[in-house]
Amino acid sequence: MDLTVEALAKTIDHTVLKADTKQSKILQICEEALTYNFAAVCINPVHVAYAAELLKDSDVKVCCVIGFPLGANTSEVKAFETKDAVRAGAHEVDMVVNVGALRDENYELVRSDIEGVVSASGDAHTKVILETGLLIDDQKRKGCLLSKEAGADFVKTSTGFGPMGATPYDVRLMRETVGKDMGVKAAGGIRSFKDAIKMLDAGADRLGTSAGVAIVEDFRWAKYSDSWMQEDRPCWDCPSRQANLAKQPKEVYVWYKERCTICPDRSGNVFND
Amino acid sequence: MMSDTPLPYIESKILRVSLTENKTTTEPIPDDLYRNYLGGRGLGVKILYDTLSPKVDALSPENLLIFAIGPLTAMPVPTAGRLEVITKSPLTGTIFDSNVGGYIGAQLRRAGYAAIIFEGSSPTPVYLWINDEQVEIRDASKVWGKDVYETTDMLLGETDPKAQVACIGPGGENKVKLAAIMTDKHRAAGRGGVGAVMGSKNLKAVVVKGTGSVGVDDKDRLTEAVKRARHLIKKNAVTDKSLPIYGTSVLVNVTNEFGMLPTHNFQEGTFNDAVGVSGEKLLERLLVGRYNCFGCPIGCGRISRVGDQEVGGPEYETIWAFGPQCGINDLEWITLANHECNLLGLDTISVGSTIGCVMELYQRGKIDASMKFGSTEGLIDLIRDIGHARGLGAELGEGSRAFAEKNGAPELAMHAKGLEIPAYDPRGAQGHALGYATSNRGGCHLRSYLIGPEILGSPVRVDRDNPRGKADLVILYQNLSAAMDSMILCRFTNFAWTVDDYAEFLAAGTGLPVNGRDILEIGERIYNLERMFNNREGLSAKDDQLPPRFFSPLPEGNSRGRVVHLNEMLAEYYSLRGWDKEGQPSKDRIKRLKIDA
Repeated sequence: MDLTVEALAKTIDHTVLKADTKQSKILQICEEALTYNFAAVCINPVHVAYAAELLKDSDVKVCCVIGFPLGANTSEVKAFETKDAVRAGAHEVDMVVNVGALRDENYELVRSDIEGVVSASGDAHTKVILETGLLIDDQKRKGCLLSKEAGADFVKTSTGFGPMGATPYDVRLMRETVGKDMGVKAAGGIRSFKDAIKMLDAGADRLGTSAGVAIVEDFRWAKYSDSWMQEDRPCWDCPSRQANLAKQPKEVYVWYKERCTICPDRSGNVFND
Repeated sequence: MMSDTPLPYIESKILRVSLTENKTTTEPIPDDLYRNYLGGRGLGVKILYDTLSPKVDALSPENLLIFAIGPLTAMPVPTAGRLEVITKSPLTGTIFDSNVGGYIGAQLRRAGYAAIIFEGSSPTPVYLWINDEQVEIRDASKVWGKDVYETTDMLLGETDPKAQVACIGPGGENKVKLAAIMTDKHRAAGRGGVGAVMGSKNLKAVVVKGTGSVGVDDKDRLTEAVKRARHLIKKNAVTDKSLPIYGTSVLVNVTNEFGMLPTHNFQEGTFNDAVGVSGEKLLERLLVGRYNCFGCPIGCGRISRVGDQEVGGPEYETIWAFGPQCGINDLEWITLANHECNLLGLDTISVGSTIGCVMELYQRGKIDASMKFGSTEGLIDLIRDIGHARGLGAELGEGSRAFAEKNGAPELAMHAKGLEIPAYDPRGAQGHALGYATSNRGGCHLRSYLIGPEILGSPVRVDRDNPRGKADLVILYQNLSAAMDSMILCRFTNFAWTVDDYAEFLAAGTGLPVNGRDILEIGERIYNLERMFNNREGLSAKDDQLPPRFFSPLPEGNSRGRVVHLNEMLAEYYSLRGWDKEGQPSKDRIKRLKIDA
């Protein structure tokens, strides 16, 4: 395996977005980000100024989420939130797309919503969270194209609060859609170095995870056996397996589950592992 | 950095105790023994291999009983206070080591000893009292016949309340092959009948008080390594949450959910009342405190209240052994059965598993003694009879293999190489199954704990039902475990640490210039030498087997329909190990590992 521990660390946005986050937790993740030289810390707006101060003399970026986690704020609020975050020291903003508008095919609103954040972000990079678990494939592709047209720097799979996390399938679809010139960030449910490497292999160049330390530390096991990376059963990584009627629109859930019935690997669809 | 001064660990001595001659002597540790085998398990294995004649009766004076600590013992490295007991097992006939926590390991190191070798047999009961440099073999007639708790209290009263005691109970005195050696009353070097070996030597206890300091090669480097390691323990969900909050019994619900909580002597893999005997229920109903071994920030040990007693435990494997294995759902009773075993100095896994075997023998009409799954009636008395080698208890004290064979149903004993298989049905995890079959000490879950990756997803999840690639992981874990048992550090740390962390501790603490691959090579050397010992005793590939039950599908639950694919994995395992078809290390492998046999 050519990937080094250091290179893996530099793909990680060290993330803490829970409501109960105390300042001591922000201090901890910033210290860890410096220790491991992660790409960024990914945090809520209220913590940006503190993190920016802690990281001011480093190349670890401060990444702030915008319109998080629902993406349902007005464009004006998202733009203001972006300006405020950048003023407080954010180098990157991860905005949640207007998911409802995307599902309504109100593409002008989706595009302008993103453009507003891109414009407000100045030199900061903008990543657009699609929340893939609420979308079918054509909607994901459209979301990617609109993000690219609106001048965003990255597309990102999920918030981690939605119905699904990142899957290699979605990362591959997004990479194929946006091409080489735009970033793809996988986020949500990435807990091990095996998860991380699968996402990178699928085309991600940034990973959002709260398990950054474990991923990098555990990656030191990789050199002692090739068996860690042995291929898993296809269903394990399939978005259809994560589909959940309680959390998804009915038609989206059904769309995912119908794919199982025509899947060539359906015999492996055993939910006991 | 490699210091010019002798390695600190080398300053510790080997204490040789001739029980036959009532004499003690000390000797230095040969430098190459330390460098090639570290200490603990490795040191004991090397000494046993070099000293014991093949086919020695494990309960004869010719057998050796070795207590050994490791080069990291009593350093500020988390969990570095454990003790290894190494001997030839009367239960399995294999080489055997049993690892125990508590505090006695650190005291032994501070007294200046790396190991104690007990030779021969005393004509009368004795105990060894080590008070730093002073060593005495003392009369133990007053405590002979006493249980573990009484013995511990009486010997501390007779020596020093600040000392630590490792002792046997009636089980060891009566040479019961399921007897343990107990420290701090309820911590057990449990498996393989090491307590019986101690009893066969008329050695009731070892009492140690050590007050010396322990040298460190590079204090700053070790401090940094320890700081990092503690941080990793805090970051890990298993070591920071599951184990401290629920203890090892957090696994009851987990293995049940995976359909591999052995129930009714491994006839099923799910237990209807699992929740009632789970770690969560233990926390709600009985727990009064946690127990941390020396230098341990995890604290998986439990202190429970039953009636008016506060008792140690129970651990996951014990809950399983007296619970689902026997079809029993009474958590209070399980806790009392555990305590009874601690008083008697018995291995809870083998005792519970053997009782479960007897219950199935009764279920299938093979024996007359009324022993029904699910009934606790008379079982505490039976456990006492096992400890005192009385009646049916005396027969069960020989272990499930001997008892099932005697009653015409050897297939109903759930063992590997004579050691009862613990609380994970191997049909639910292929790699773990291979670990059971190839363990040098028999059915042991700790030689290669593939439950980590296969069930808990640590460090990554691997497909538990896929035999491919498992041999490689089993070998990695077996080699690392051998090295860890030689340093000595607790197995639970490798949820949070990697091979490289162990190497860093060793390098910083002792000056031994090692990296992760060196550590694994030392472990491989130890594992192969153990194998050579067993080969010399007549064990071969035919013994790397599992009971026939595991080649029939589980009838229900989330491992339903699964069987162990052992032969497929064994072929790959032997090939990767460099062993021939009989399971013997090749000359090339022995040479590469520099095993001076």
